[in-house]
Parts: sequence; structure tokens; C-alpha cells
Amino acid sequence: MIEFVHTSKSFGNHIVHRDINLKIPKGKITFIIGPSGTGKSVFIKQIIGLMKPDSGRIMIDGEDMTRMDEKRLLSIRSKLGLLFQNAALFDSMNVFENVAFPLIEHTSKTSREIRDIVHKKLLQVGLKDIDQKYPSELSGGMRKRVGLARALALTPELMLYDEPTTGLDPIMTDVVNNLIEYTHKSTNMTSVVISHDIKCTLKTADNIAMIYNGVVVAQGTPEYFQSTDNPIVKQFFTGSADGPIKIY
Amino acid sequence: MNPFGYLGSFVLNLLNTLGGLSTMLWDALRWTVRPPFRFKLILEQMESIGVKSVPVVIFTGMFTGMVFGYQCYFGFHYFGAEYMTGMVVALAMARELGPVLSAIMVTARCGSAMTAELGTMRVTEQIDALYSLAVEPLQYLISPRIIASVLIMPVLNLITVTFGIVGGYVVVVKWLGVNSTIFLENISYYVGLDDYLNGTVKALVFGLILSVVGCYKGYYVSGGALGVGQATTQSVVLSCILILLFDYIITALLF
Repeated sequence: MIEFVHTSKSFGNHIVHRDINLKIPKGKITFIIGPSGTGKSVFIKQIIGLMKPDSGRIMIDGEDMTRMDEKRLLSIRSKLGLLFQNAALFDSMNVFENVAFPLIEHTSKTSREIRDIVHKKLLQVGLKDIDQKYPSELSGGMRKRVGLARALALTPELMLYDEPTTGLDPIMTDVVNNLIEYTHKSTNMTSVVISHDIKCTLKTADNIAMIYNGVVVAQGTPEYFQSTDNPIVKQFFTGSADGPIKIY
Repeated sequence: MNPFGYLGSFVLNLLNTLGGLSTMLWDALRWTVRPPFRFKLILEQMESIGVKSVPVVIFTGMFTGMVFGYQCYFGFHYFGAEYMTGMVVALAMARELGPVLSAIMVTARCGSAMTAELGTMRVTEQIDALYSLAVEPLQYLISPRIIASVLIMPVLNLITVTFGIVGGYVVVVKWLGVNSTIFLENISYYVGLDDYLNGTVKALVFGLILSVVGCYKGYYVSGGALGVGQATTQSVVLSCILILLFDYIITALLF
């Protein structure tokens, strides 16, 4: 389980998180939602250790990440998978090399085994015969799926998705959404999804946390979010410009 | 902003950059001695920085030697000492022109490329992706570039010096008519191993400077494509300034 305990984070004068308390249960899909620019991605960056909170603790299976040394952080990260918003594929490598990269770095598998795993992971995300293509030759949806295959290559215990459906067409959105659900169910991993896609959230999430103005304003199941009277949640779910969420 | 404000801001920026460069060098060295060892990446960088720079440094060395041969010949001609031209060309190439010019050419060709490549990787989150895949970016991206630069710059320097002397020989002996034996004898008599070794020390230091600056400016880029462009310019300018500054310091210490 991941737990944010009284964490705060600010960039200069801009406070992103203030006294956050958030629990991400093991084996479940947790969606973190909220308007753009409210520090949703900061959660993911803190979980992988790219950023540290200014105060508070981040506990992963009872261990405080903020106090870990580089060696321990590296070993924790080898159990995580992260799908970046723009896939973040290595543009000097082709699709095969991108997906094979974590396997080459962290396992002692033979090249034949690596090839088989890469093809299996690519098939899992609905791609084949694109081994030799470079990221610049792929569409946005394909890049995202290759990014997902790369993140899943080592079969991580915790999978993090940073806005996986942003910028995709409705069909591809559903495909990626189904992939998240499928990979979660087939491996029983813990998943954290950063999103502001209401439809996907309600369809896929086990738990939802909504962040606004640096604090977690609501946390619960999709059913709770659909029935709550919280005006911030209601405005966000109805997509209305009028309400307590300030646009400027 | 008043002049004191400018001065204060300049000093703070300078100290910030020097601190950043030192920290990056220290971190890169720490990651170099930890497994896994990245020999393949070091060799790839040696090819990119070294092998592919050979034509550029040959051209630079050759023409510098040729033009320097011309100028020295005309200078010495005033008091009938043309026979000393070969020695002066070789001495200047070995001590000064070889290391400085090869370093500046490699800065322009590879230091700028390091900044642009790493900067693009930063703004497109590829460095964060490495980190998320439990691969330390400093070990994977920075250390191989620094090691390759330091190892390959003395070789490029030697090529520049050799072709500088060849260029000088072509102009002074073949075109201006100085005796070939005198040209070569003076070089072997007056230019010693020390001169070449001191040039090699400079090349090592310059290789370190251009790679650390190139990597530092690219690794910590912010501000998208504009930021990458600005960082690349700053990287080349800062590397060249530091190369010239350290050239003086090393010369004052060694000669």
C-alpha cells in the first residue's frame, strides 16, 4: 500500500499540495482526478522518487520513501511501471529496443527470451510488426501503447499512468482504458491513474481521490462520487464553468 | 536594475553554475565506479566524439599549421631567421594551438550536440523515463560522455598537432623554399616530449570541461524548445570561455 502522510509541496510561492493524506490500497485501481494544474502528476513523481515532498512522509509497504538512499530507491523503482502522458519513448531507439530496454537493463535473459517477451507485450497492447519503427513514425495512440508495453515489460507490482487517455480519440481512449483494466486484472497489480476523464474514471476505478487547490477534497468509490453533494465534485463531474472551482 | 544589482546577479549566477558543474562532475564520477559498468556506451561516445571529429580536427590542424607557417616565415624573414619557422610552428601547435583549437572544434561539434540531445531528452521526459525504469540517468547518459571526452581529446590533439606540422611543412618547405632537413632538425632539437605531454594535459582538461559543461547545460534544461536553444548557445560560449581560461592557468602552472 502507498500512503501519503501529511505531505506538502510547493514550487516557489505556488503551493501545490498542502497537508495531503491519501491512501492507495494494494491490488486496486485508484484514480486521482482534478482540474488541470492542481498537482496530480506531482503524486506520481513523488511515488517514483523524482520529487520529494517539502514535508510529510510517503510510505510504500511500510517504508518511508523520503528517507531512502539512492540504492534502495533504484530497487523500489525496478518494481514500478510508469506510462508517461506523452509516452516518453527513447527517440534514438526503435520500438523493439524501447520495449526491450528494461529487460536488457534488469534481467539476464537471452536475446531470444527478450524477443519473445517484447512481442508478447506488444501483442498485449494490440501492436505487431512495428519492431523497426521509430517513435517519430508512430501515431499518438501507438506511442502510448508502446509506452505501456515498455512499462509492463518487467511485470511491475505497481503501475502508474499519467493521463493515459489525454489527446486520444474516443475509440482509442476506450482501447487504452480497456488495456488498463485488462492488465490490472490479469496481473493483480496496484494501479494509480492520473486522469480528468470522468467516463473512464467511473468505468474503471475501484477508488477515486479528487484533488483541488492543494488538498484532497473527496475520496471514495465511484458510487460515492456519483451520489455526493460535494459542490466541487459535482461541478467537476458535470463539467460546468459555474461553481466553486475557480478557472482563473 | 542598478549596476550593483547586475554585478550581484552575475556573481550569483556564476557561483550557481560553477557549483552545478562541480556537483555534476562529482555525481558522474560516483556513478562511474558503481556497477553496471557502461563500457559499450563509452565506446559509442568515443566513436561519436572522437572518430567522427577526426576530419574536422585534421582540417583545423592542417590549415592552422599552413597559415601559421606563412605568418612566421614572413616575420622571421625580416631578420633572416626563416630556418626557425618549423620549430616555432611545431612548438606553438604542440603547446597551444593543437589543444585549444581541437577543443574548440570538438565543443562546437560535440559539446553543443550533447546539450541539445540531453536537453531534448529532458523536455520530452525521456530522462524521467530512464529514472522510472530504474536506470540512473547520470550513469547512463552523463558518465560515458565525460569519460569518452577525457580519453579521446588527447588523441584528437595529437592528430591536430601532427597535421599542423604537416601543414607548416607543406607551406614553409614546399612552397616557400626552406630546407627540409633544417625544418625537421630544428623541430626535433627544440621541441621535446615535455611540450607534447603538456599539450596532452591541456587536452585532458579541455575534454573534461567541454563534456561537463555540455552535459550540465543539457541535463538541467527547462523551457521547451526555446530553453534547449538557449542552453546550447550558453554551453558553447561557457565551454570556450573556460577552455581559454584554463589554458592560461595550465600554461602558467606547467611552463
